[in-house]
Amino acid sequence: CTADFEEINTNSNAPVTVQPSLLLRQVIYNYGEEMSYEGFVAGGLLGQHMTALDFNLFDRHALKSPQLGGDPWPIFYRNLRDNELILNQSRSSEAFKVYEGPALIFKAYMTAALTDIYGDVPYNEAFRGLDGIVQPKYDLQEDIYLQENGILDNLDKGIAAIENYTGSIALDGDVLYNGDLQAWVRLANSLKIKALVRISDKENISTRLQELYDDGNYIASNTQNAIFNFTDSEPNNFRMARLRAGDFNNFVMSETMEEILEGLNDARIDILFRPRGNNGNGDDYEGLLNGIDASSTSVSLADYSLAGTIFRENTGMLDANYMTAWETNFLLAEAAEKGLITAPAQTLYETAVTQAFEYWNTTLPVDYLTTTAAYAANGNDPIEQIITQKWIAGVINGYEGWIEYRRTGFPVLKNISASLNNNLIPVRMPYPAEEAALNADNYNVAASATNNNDINVPVWWDE
Amino acid sequence: TVKDNTGEPVAFANIAEQGTRNGTTTSSTGTYSITVKEGATLVFSFIGYKSQKLSVTSAQTLDVILEEGDSLDQIIVTALGVKRQERELGYAVQTLDADQIEEVKAVNLLDNLAGKVAGISVTQGATGVGSSSKITIRGEASFSNNNPLFIVDGTPVNNNTIFNFTNEAAAGFQEVDFGNGAGELNQDDIASVSVLKGPAAAALYGTRASNGAIIIETKNGGKQKGLGISYNTSFFVDTAFQLPQFQNEYGQGNSGQFEYVDGLGGGTNDNITYSWGPRLDAGINIAQFDSPVTLPDGTVVRGGDTSLYNGLSITPTAFNSNPDNLKNFYETGHTFINNIAVSNGFEKGDYRFSFTDLRSESIIPGVNLDRQSVAAKLNFTPSDKTTIRTSINYVNSASDNRPSNGYGSENVNYSLVAWGPRSLNIDNLRNYWQPGLEGVQQYSFNYTFFDNPYFILNENRNSFGRDRLYGNVSLTQQLTSELTATVRTGMDYSNEKRRFLRSYSTNRFRNGAYAEHDVTYREINTDFLLNYKNQFDDITFDASIGGNRLSQTASTRQVQTTSLAQPGIFSLNNAASPIESFGFRSEKRINSLYAFAKAGYKNFLYLDVTARNDWSSALATPFTADNTSFFYPSVSTSFILSNIVDLPKVIDFAKIRASYAQVGNDTDPYQTQGTFISQTPVNAQPTFTNQDFIPNQNLRPETTSSVELGFDMRFLKQRLNVDFTYYNAVTSDQILSLPIGISSGFSQQVVNAGSVRNTGVEVVLNAIPVRTDDFQWSSTVNFATNRAIVEDLPQDEGRLTLAYSRVYDSQDQTVWHQVEEGGRIGDLYGTGYLRNENGDFVLTADGRFIADPELKKLGNYNADFTMGFNNSFTYKNWDASFLLDWRQGGILVSRTLALAAVGGQLEETANRPDAGIVANGVVNTGTADNPVYVQNTTAVSAESYYRQFYDRNHEENNVYDASYLKLRQFSIGYSFDLNKGALGLFNDGAEMRVSLIGRNLFAFSEIPHFDPEQLAVQGQGFVSGVEDMSYASTRSIGIKAGIQF
Repeated sequence: CTADFEEINTNSNAPVTVQPSLLLRQVIYNYGEEMSYEGFVAGGLLGQHMTALDFNLFDRHALKSPQLGGDPWPIFYRNLRDNELILNQSRSSEAFKVYEGPALIFKAYMTAALTDIYGDVPYNEAFRGLDGIVQPKYDLQEDIYLQENGILDNLDKGIAAIENYTGSIALDGDVLYNGDLQAWVRLANSLKIKALVRISDKENISTRLQELYDDGNYIASNTQNAIFNFTDSEPNNFRMARLRAGDFNNFVMSETMEEILEGLNDARIDILFRPRGNNGNGDDYEGLLNGIDASSTSVSLADYSLAGTIFRENTGMLDANYMTAWETNFLLAEAAEKGLITAPAQTLYETAVTQAFEYWNTTLPVDYLTTTAAYAANGNDPIEQIITQKWIAGVINGYEGWIEYRRTGFPVLKNISASLNNNLIPVRMPYPAEEAALNADNYNVAASATNNNDINVPVWWDE
Repeated sequence: TVKDNTGEPVAFANIAEQGTRNGTTTSSTGTYSITVKEGATLVFSFIGYKSQKLSVTSAQTLDVILEEGDSLDQIIVTALGVKRQERELGYAVQTLDADQIEEVKAVNLLDNLAGKVAGISVTQGATGVGSSSKITIRGEASFSNNNPLFIVDGTPVNNNTIFNFTNEAAAGFQEVDFGNGAGELNQDDIASVSVLKGPAAAALYGTRASNGAIIIETKNGGKQKGLGISYNTSFFVDTAFQLPQFQNEYGQGNSGQFEYVDGLGGGTNDNITYSWGPRLDAGINIAQFDSPVTLPDGTVVRGGDTSLYNGLSITPTAFNSNPDNLKNFYETGHTFINNIAVSNGFEKGDYRFSFTDLRSESIIPGVNLDRQSVAAKLNFTPSDKTTIRTSINYVNSASDNRPSNGYGSENVNYSLVAWGPRSLNIDNLRNYWQPGLEGVQQYSFNYTFFDNPYFILNENRNSFGRDRLYGNVSLTQQLTSELTATVRTGMDYSNEKRRFLRSYSTNRFRNGAYAEHDVTYREINTDFLLNYKNQFDDITFDASIGGNRLSQTASTRQVQTTSLAQPGIFSLNNAASPIESFGFRSEKRINSLYAFAKAGYKNFLYLDVTARNDWSSALATPFTADNTSFFYPSVSTSFILSNIVDLPKVIDFAKIRASYAQVGNDTDPYQTQGTFISQTPVNAQPTFTNQDFIPNQNLRPETTSSVELGFDMRFLKQRLNVDFTYYNAVTSDQILSLPIGISSGFSQQVVNAGSVRNTGVEVVLNAIPVRTDDFQWSSTVNFATNRAIVEDLPQDEGRLTLAYSRVYDSQDQTVWHQVEEGGRIGDLYGTGYLRNENGDFVLTADGRFIADPELKKLGNYNADFTMGFNNSFTYKNWDASFLLDWRQGGILVSRTLALAAVGGQLEETANRPDAGIVANGVVNTGTADNPVYVQNTTAVSAESYYRQFYDRNHEENNVYDASYLKLRQFSIGYSFDLNKGALGLFNDGAEMRVSLIGRNLFAFSEIPHFDPEQLAVQGQGFVSGVEDMSYASTRSIGIKAGIQF
């Protein structure tokens, strides 16, 4: 009575196993696509690049009520799951060994962004549902950064795996570097620089950082950037190009952004934003203070600046940003300025600013670095300048602007207009409600360490 | 005089002239008189007595003695098509005959069952004619599948609803409902509908019958010899049943300000369409989308023709109310159903051939449904011992447009109700292209989120055509006097092609889009049955063994492009972006063996035993079929008290019955192994991701065990009949996709777990309150109540999510179907505003509500009880009937209320005092630990108050009591005696009938804005208890005429 049942109940629609290249292409692209959208609709609100006119509970810092984006948790775990499959395949089959290094590096990259946003998160037991672990324990952020198989360790192991790779099978599915393994090593070193600077208030990282700087094998020029170039047409365009006009028009320039760009007389304003409709007084660009109470405040869209055409009409000009030369150089400049390493801070800063203008397709005005953005001039705090420049260039780079604000306090963000968080700028994202419901025992441990999942409790490196 | 065999006169016995409608009834003393032709045959009948025929030779007095007899025994079609006398049955079955189905037809068969059977619940879909309706029998006991099994002439037919593939919440196709499989079964061909309610009744049908079964028999050619022709026509005029009640005091805008410039934010609040703007009808002029603009060449265009001018000023026009704008948008719909049937009985059998044409134009502009059904039935008896039966049905359903479901810009209610400002003159949107840009750029009142509703309905259509063939062929051979064998094979096959057209300038698809979606389904059932029947003294014995093989193949494939090269060409050849394809093909087989036996002892005690074993491929893994077998038995008994005990004379009949049954249930294919899913290509290269659910290689079948007790009592010469049923069923080891935290890497895990206890009571009461010589009033009351309590969940604590309904992909804007141990299936959860222990809203010092992120139980969507009250009246040649459908209790969460009240459109928001509104709540003037609550006295602006109160993030304030009392259907008819009136043009038995009919006429309900019957759609499934931007349902009034000769 059961003849052929095995065959009948075998799903012929989809593969049971797939080549790691298909997963790698998916993980890299999906993570970049999702986090760039998050960067526009959520990360950019927390970091005050942009503000939302309506449907804006998130912009008012009710972070437990995301509306358009603002819930990146599943983005991390789905991609970490697929990435883990690549890693497992690379370790079980000689033919796939070339994937081990990049998979370890990308795991470290995504893990860092995850823990920087949330703090303690499921990690060592996470994305192992197929092993029967469906309620993973949370790991401390400190351990995730420092312990074996943590972020720094995986970056080291990733580099080692590449250096030790002697096969000749090409890395396929690599939409960042088209299989150039040495480029992955540079990416790993840049990520190490970023991780070390991020925990530099907690750990003595000077020696390791100096060594990385001295070796110089990190992303140093824009041609070495880890980016995905969005297309103009579907399906690989920036998501804002596909949404309705109203979804795009819901976001305008933040007042914080306006003041900073206008204060610097920064030419990038022309590409990042578009002139407002009502520019009768000749003032083309206007930002709005974040976090209006849409139910009692009426604002006229025509009075404010929308995001530039590169975010909707011409997304072929836009990149998903994973790691860049300018970000690396700003990190090194900060380390140098703080005396963590010995290096010329001003040169690094100026290189980074120049690269950031190039990245945003804007000609660097000849006097920019000698007038408004001149290093340590006009009574400016160089650290504030470095972080602020990185913040400007980091538009749509996930939650990075807000993360660095939490670490450094720069740029000085504004008190928002109708805060739902007692006028405090949140310093971590809350765990999503589904964790409380579906992973309750472990969630409770993590929630109690954060004053019941409070968004005002700093993460370990920010304590 | 008519008397019974004790010599008592029989009052109200029927006397009819055979083959005519000529007839009368006896008086209270049993006397009667009737005028007939010489040689006529009179038929004397009365419930509870054997009928008698006598021929009349000349004027005479005929005294008749009726014997008590078999007419108590209604013949009922039970599982596997076995015809049984109702009194033998140990479980509840309720049957509707053709008259109850065909008099007032509904477009969807299931809607026609509502209120007529105790214990079934029918809910109509939200997108007008052609929508799916959802049916459950005895409530919902399974966490996943509660669809009953449908059988036509012995062969299963599908009741599937297959939605299109949808993607990104705010960009991409919305879900469209193309109807449910059982909805298109043709009502003119139905001879009877038997509802097998519990597992005992349905056990023989196996896994899919754990939710009950609906057994439909189609009409046969009939026993009488000679050609019979019948024709009937129904014509309904459909109007909107209930429209939202709007405020008409304030128009578009925010904070009292509005001016149109480009509908994109270039003016004052012209990017949003709230009605928090200036007062209407106040004599002021404001530039609007339909205000004139004069071009330099003198041409006058409309403000919304923004592609044709730049920087020119719009001449303000009167800012007036449009109280009937939505009412005028809906049209008068028509439904026209014509049926012609030819039947014949001949020496060795009979046949019937029927053709039905249904054409319905919806009240929604441009929406329609056409359906042609052909039924052919042949019963052929070549010899005394052999019978061959065939039943073949073909249905073609098609629509030029099916409207989109749910929240989002493809649903016209999004721009007309939720976000249609009250200053909007909808009529001015009819001309929906900007001049000279036909096919390229629509004209609308707003270009941010909204599409012109006429543009959506006329250009962005979702059409379909479906061919369906179902039926079977069977052969019954009597082998010996005791032994009969039957073999049968039947099929249900359907093939559907859908097209989704999206024009240039659609907000979700700026360069248009096009999709094709093919859905194919085929199920073949082949079975045999060997029956042995004998009588030993006082014992009747009847036993059968049988087997069935079910082979099911389902496939669906959607191919689409989300931008078009050339506007207006809807073809994949015109794709301007890579063609995407989503498809799925599944296959399943169930092999079964079963046996059943029934024994009767002396006409008062009956016992039934059944046993069935299934082998289901869905439980196999790719490596082993070891776990695929499951067995389940049932036993039922019926005890006719009135046949052995002397009961008071008022009791004609008394039976008690009891049954115990188990039914196993398998699952969908491919739950035992995981796969990878293809994703968006990157630079035209493929990508794959792991599926999000963890498969289970050790699945077991789920089991329902049920106990059912009941009695059937008939009083006063059967003028009062009561049938009572109590049941108690446990469904355990449920196969379900258990949500797990995505931090595990997966969002769901397939498990066997959980149990639900389902208890309920059903009462069917038949009464004939009034009966005189000319007039009769008969009445049926169906009452049912059901509670499904969750006894065990797979997890240790907390709640299990079974489904949800969500606005876009926002977790906050979600109504959750969750269950907890001790809770009921159907519990709805959502969020609300903070309250203190007294239940008062706790407000901020400045008088605002405080969001409470904790999920709270909003209520349960199931009714406390349902009751149908059907009445029919006859007076001479007149007859009339009406059906009341009462549903008490349950809640409905309304998106229309949440969104249209936040938008300031509904009448709830009309009161806007300048001083603002003081929210009813308290303010904590103490500390968090020692609160001191004082009544709030701080006003906030009316706009701010309503926008907070009804906010879509907090469902608690958007909940209605779903109770209603509906006038479900009525008819008033007159029958003409053609054979008398038409001077012998017609044969004996010819008749003509004309009636006035109506459906869904009126409802008492607390809900002012829409039909209280609602069903939402999310993630390719239905979600009960949520109203999600529903279209108006219809009130139908019509005429039916039929002739038969």
